[in-house]
Amino acid sequence: MSPSRRLIRQTLTIARRDFIATVFTPIFLLFLFAPLIMVAFSTIGAMGAAQAADHGADRVKIVAIVPDAIARAFVEADTRTRTVFRRDEEPPALKTLAPARDPAAQARAAFEARDYDATAVLYGPLERPTILYGARGARAADYLAVLAGQSLVADRVGGHLPQVAAVKTPFVRQRATLGGQNQTAFLAVFGVFFLTLFLAGQVVGTMAEERSNKVIEVLAAAVPLEAVFLGKLLGMFGVAVLFVGFWGTVLGQLTSILPPSFAGMVGELSPAIGLPMFAVLFVAYFTMAYLLLGSVFLTIGAQASTMREIQMLSLPITIVQVGMFTLTLSGLSKPDSWLAVIAEVFPLSSPFAMAGMAAARDTLWPHAVALAWQALWVALFVTLGARLFRRGVLQSGSVRPFWRRKRA
Amino acid sequence: MDNQWAVNASGLAKRFGDRRVVDGVDIAVPTGAVYGVLGPNGAGKTTTLRMLLGIIEPDEGERTLLGHAHPRDASDLVGYLPEERGLYPAMKAREAIAFMGALRGLDWKTGRARAIELLEQAGLGHAADTKIRKLSKGMAQLVQLLGAVVHRPRLLVLDEPFSGLDPVNQERLEALMLGERDRGATILFSTHVMAHAERLCDRLAIIAGGQRRFEGTVDEARGTLPSLVRYRPRDPDRVTPELLPADARPDGTDWRFSLPDEGIEPVLGRLLAAGAGIWNLSIERPSLHEAFVRIVGEQASQENAA
Repeated sequence: MSPSRRLIRQTLTIARRDFIATVFTPIFLLFLFAPLIMVAFSTIGAMGAAQAADHGADRVKIVAIVPDAIARAFVEADTRTRTVFRRDEEPPALKTLAPARDPAAQARAAFEARDYDATAVLYGPLERPTILYGARGARAADYLAVLAGQSLVADRVGGHLPQVAAVKTPFVRQRATLGGQNQTAFLAVFGVFFLTLFLAGQVVGTMAEERSNKVIEVLAAAVPLEAVFLGKLLGMFGVAVLFVGFWGTVLGQLTSILPPSFAGMVGELSPAIGLPMFAVLFVAYFTMAYLLLGSVFLTIGAQASTMREIQMLSLPITIVQVGMFTLTLSGLSKPDSWLAVIAEVFPLSSPFAMAGMAAARDTLWPHAVALAWQALWVALFVTLGARLFRRGVLQSGSVRPFWRRKRA
Repeated sequence: MDNQWAVNASGLAKRFGDRRVVDGVDIAVPTGAVYGVLGPNGAGKTTTLRMLLGIIEPDEGERTLLGHAHPRDASDLVGYLPEERGLYPAMKAREAIAFMGALRGLDWKTGRARAIELLEQAGLGHAADTKIRKLSKGMAQLVQLLGAVVHRPRLLVLDEPFSGLDPVNQERLEALMLGERDRGATILFSTHVMAHAERLCDRLAIIAGGQRRFEGTVDEARGTLPSLVRYRPRDPDRVTPELLPADARPDGTDWRFSLPDEGIEPVLGRLLAAGAGIWNLSIERPSLHEAFVRIVGEQASQENAA
């Protein structure tokens, strides 16, 4: 058997063991359904918050102190204008009051009312109304000003605003919008980041198992450490693929039952390179991001000898990932800047940046170069990790990892 | 390819920090032999074996393993039981054995079938589907040993294989080692228990202080010490020290001394002439244990003197 075939066989043997040992445990179900648990808690939290907000929101009003004749036009203008807002962006409900002898005093008194919370109050002539507003009431004041304008127009044309019967027809673009491409780029970067953040950190502690139960000596005698490292990485990548595949299928099914308006929005998210190629590149960059970050984390984690040290590593690992994400987003906002080039070239941020590029530009060759570049770094990190492990851990049980050697 | 030697190493040296753990060790293990590496704790046995297997690289020296200049190239032909036993606790015994075979190139299906066969031969057939964490230490150790032989290696390297085993399991292990030898495998094992080495080894090396102090057969090792003579005279009053060799020491009514190079006859002649007579006379060959203690003791004395 050729050395390369033997290495592949040994790598896959390690990967198979790790995959089975991870997946065929009850704990894996907890891991697999963790997003569901997360979503469930988020939903409960959001519902509670929304309920609390709704409860308070019912009491909040914008107040127009206008004569009855104007009030009708005011209500009509409010009814029409309100339709352009999304539910969560709607202004507070309108309340009209007939003017008293001193409208200014009446307006001030409205803020003291016990049966509602006034956020903005309008009084005076519609040509030059006075609007008082409280904290966070500036937009409500603007809205009252708009209603005043529309009511004035209605008053001048006979009491009602003119009706316009518009013909609304949905239109599907043939080309992606620039905004859609940018959104796709952001979503691609975020998608790769989110998946690696969630999954790549899992490899940190995988060598600890072999070290604690002394299996590492058996493995090191039978197969090269590079095969052990790569096998562990692939085993955990298999777990990640299973996880992504499961949730991808679930989300795919959910998308098919979403309303057409949502499907239209999704349609706007069109990558510049075309959807099939983008899908291939997204998978490739997710793979590379996982392998790159995973190999670095595996290398660092392999030097740790206790669970406490491994747990301590989780924070710097998250910071590194967030750092790469931030660097990529900075580059994405200025595509031709030096920051963008750094993000595309620096090995740990390259998969994120290139996933973004796939959405925003239609050239294909940079991706071939980038994937080869990233694969080279995966090989380098795995080799380096194996060497550090051999020198720092396998040489002798008493040799300390590099960080403790420096401290000593 | 060199078929005469399963393992051939010369001048192996390894330094950990400031300490030279192995210092120019030569080892040549004939193909098909059972070869013991003996030494006190900390002598450098494990480091030597690890260098031979390519787990760590020597700082100096060369070695071939089954004719391969790099041990990795022969890894599928080698079985290894490390000093620190290690198995995945959640694996079943059968799977653990098949896994170790798979690491050495054996396909899983054959590995599982052979695992059952080996477990039954070792009297552990009932434990085939038991998880490692539920096995006793001795049973787990045997499972690991079976994992080291499941792919039918040409060279079996065992680091302190008897440590932690009860006498029954030690006997099982000895039988297994001899079975592997009969199959044609070469066996290289380290130990500091002389009884096993005496029973099993065709050849052995004694390592102390990182250096090889002796290499040869068990008989040759025992031959490094003269035989011991135990003599009881008929008439003790007629025995004077001048009649006996210089190292003779009284031991109750007996005298003990090393067998002189010229043989026992001249001494007996003098004793008979003096009328001391012979009540009892025995010549005992030294044990491997005694030879080991002397060889290692010399090294310790040299170190102390230095």
